[in-house]
Amino acid sequence: MKQYIARRLGYSLLSLFLLSLTIFFFVRVTGDPAALLVEPGASQEDIAAIHHQFGLDRPLLVQYGLFMASLVQGDFGQSFYYRTPVFELYLSRLPNSLELAVVAMFLSLVIGIPSGVLASVQVGGFWDSFGKMFSLLGLSLPSFWVGLVLILFFSVYLGWLPSSGAGTPLHLIMPAFALGWYFAAAHMRLTRSSMLEVLGSEYVKLARLKGLPEKLVIAKHAFKNALIPVLTLAGINLVIMVNVAVVVETVFAWPGIGRLLYEGITFRDFPIVQGVVIMGGAMIIAVNFMIDILYAVIDPRIRLEK
Amino acid sequence: MSSPVQHRVETAATADRTGVSRRDLLALAAMGVVAGASRPVMAATEGQLTYGVHVSLAPSWFDPAETQGIITPYMVLYALHDAMVKAMPGKPYAPCLAESWTAAPDGLTYDFVIRKDAKFHNGEPVTAEDVKFSYERYRGTSHELMKENLASIETPDPSHVRFKLKKPWPDFLSFYSSASGAGWIVPKKYVEQVGEDGFKRAPIGAGPYKFVSFNPGVELVLEAFDGYWRKKPNVKRLVMKVIPDEATRAAALKRGEVDIAYSVRGELAEELQHTPGIALKPVVLQAPNWLYFPEQWDPKSPWHDLRVRQAANLAIDRQGMSDALFLGYCKITNSIVPYTFDYYWQPPAAAYDPTKAKKLMAEAGRAGGFDAGMMYCDSSYSNMAEVSVNNLAEIGIRVRLEPVERAAFYSNYGAKKYQRGIIQAASGAFGNAATRLAAFIVKGGAFAYGSYPDIDELYPQQADEIDHEKRAAILTKMQQLVHEKAIYAPIWQLGFINAVGPRVGESSFDLIPGFAYTAPFEDLTIKA
Repeated sequence: MKQYIARRLGYSLLSLFLLSLTIFFFVRVTGDPAALLVEPGASQEDIAAIHHQFGLDRPLLVQYGLFMASLVQGDFGQSFYYRTPVFELYLSRLPNSLELAVVAMFLSLVIGIPSGVLASVQVGGFWDSFGKMFSLLGLSLPSFWVGLVLILFFSVYLGWLPSSGAGTPLHLIMPAFALGWYFAAAHMRLTRSSMLEVLGSEYVKLARLKGLPEKLVIAKHAFKNALIPVLTLAGINLVIMVNVAVVVETVFAWPGIGRLLYEGITFRDFPIVQGVVIMGGAMIIAVNFMIDILYAVIDPRIRLEK
Repeated sequence: MSSPVQHRVETAATADRTGVSRRDLLALAAMGVVAGASRPVMAATEGQLTYGVHVSLAPSWFDPAETQGIITPYMVLYALHDAMVKAMPGKPYAPCLAESWTAAPDGLTYDFVIRKDAKFHNGEPVTAEDVKFSYERYRGTSHELMKENLASIETPDPSHVRFKLKKPWPDFLSFYSSASGAGWIVPKKYVEQVGEDGFKRAPIGAGPYKFVSFNPGVELVLEAFDGYWRKKPNVKRLVMKVIPDEATRAAALKRGEVDIAYSVRGELAEELQHTPGIALKPVVLQAPNWLYFPEQWDPKSPWHDLRVRQAANLAIDRQGMSDALFLGYCKITNSIVPYTFDYYWQPPAAAYDPTKAKKLMAEAGRAGGFDAGMMYCDSSYSNMAEVSVNNLAEIGIRVRLEPVERAAFYSNYGAKKYQRGIIQAASGAFGNAATRLAAFIVKGGAFAYGSYPDIDELYPQQADEIDHEKRAAILTKMQQLVHEKAIYAPIWQLGFINAVGPRVGESSFDLIPGFAYTAPFEDLTIKA
């Protein structure tokens, strides 16, 4: 088991290293941040001064070395735009993003799982058709459009909810719904397909042959097993919601990490983009690592695999 | 040659980064559903005005020393801080913390007298030491130039400051007053006490509003400073809320969540225009847009012929373009120099005359037109370029549009990579006519792809001329030559559209020509 954990840990660290390498070089392909900090007509001296200030005048490998040396000490660098440590910015936005993600996830599960179960037990019926339409809309309607329609209807027309910002539970409703709907559709589809697979399995057939009531077969035998992949996906989705709810957070002026990433990209603020991507990647890697360990604990065959 | 443009006001592309997109159209479609039925429901906070700001506020904007050369920080600087001399309503060089100044006849010394009742927010008086400290501490755009030209700063007493220059520098006041942050005064003792980071976290200035709180990416809260020398601000509290999405800002204004919304364009602006209680407040930015013909110095190119360039100038329907894209709020000046600049010369009005343009093309032996290659532009403004492409096609100049992401475009433009075709560009760079010509016309200019000897000869003459009238005459001559040679086809100075809600009395928009935001803040009022 120790060897298995060590191997998995090694893979995780390697993934993180590759991620740091990729994001560091990719972000620099986007262009020169100095070009966005001065007006057209700026002298070369001014541009050079900005390069020097941000350390962009050093060789790329030196920049990467310094970046990694800081990273291992938990220092993501200082934002070009905010002139504030990126980690401090990240932490200041994290509570808002967590709040939004948790509520959006709750909505997505509350909507997605029951509708997926209903669709799977009535294949071709009303709920299945409704579910298909719901998931089609959820996955295909752009979240910014959903957000804007929500703002215009509930905020401008009805005047019930604030159009943007954060601070009260009322502020949370529209962005959580706009974010949660897409994931609700995804969860609905996965629940439906997972349920259909389980409902067609031998042990469910046996349960039915034994004469168990259909509700009990669905609730006790099928649903619990079908839920495993859904919850695994939900865990990953939660990390995504926390870190890259870029569009929803921008439309609703929600001060979360997604908007921080948007600002980082907009202003070519390399440290912010690097920091957010690495934090998000680290979270996904950590979740996967924990899942791998849990699988190994549950199923000994996994840890014995070479 | 002196360094070209040394301080920049953001172009509309910076102020207003995104173009009209599918998203706007979809938003408009959604807005159509509820048009005319909006309800302002928010209870306004008494004595408070709330802004919907289009960009994220940065702590570096709280510190004049960090001013990097875009106008956006001045959105905050005008509230928190004050300058010795700055642009104010009706005066491009208004005495502020300095109640007066004198320049020596030789142009080597500038003496400033500090206003006696000028105070910082902590109650300390503004002194000569603070002025000297602020200049020396400045590290933003053009700080090298400002230090290079400076011999010394003397502070004979707390109310007097003397700047001694190494050589006559006619643009000193231009740079000190508005083209840099060096003339914006911070309290020396306080900065030394709290340090650089501490100052950004809790800035103290001498402006009309005091810092209360800042939540990065969310909002900045300011409170009126009753001890402000010019007048006690009318509005007690200002809240600047960051709302990056344009449609959301418009919705927040309609709902009454914000009183002032910066940067609302196109169909959304039109929608707001028709909303009762909401008024548009367009501001003409000091950011001219133009077409540039980089091939004009190549004798083999059709653009080498003056008549072809003149024809292109006559082919552009500027007013039609402004009406269609910016509700007619752009100012057609027919110059690449902003009309608010010192030494500006007003060229004859731009004409739209395709018939005359075709005649000129025929005279140039181009009756059948020609293939002009690509038109390169900042992709944020490809909608403008599309109109130009169509206008030019009407007189036979066939050109294909090549929109390029903003930073890459200006980087390539400056690196002189667009040697063929047409360039559609803009500049919001601060300065005066001389700095603008230095960057875009004169030999060696950062964006000059070629030059004309008669204009080049005049440039050093004006740079050494201390006499204002004589310098003005030379710069006028240079601008006339630029116009006569049709080096550019100027389009307009862009209209930056803002909107205010029903509670706003004096919005302070457009009191300072060319300034995109509200200022002076102390003049803001709320309706009774």
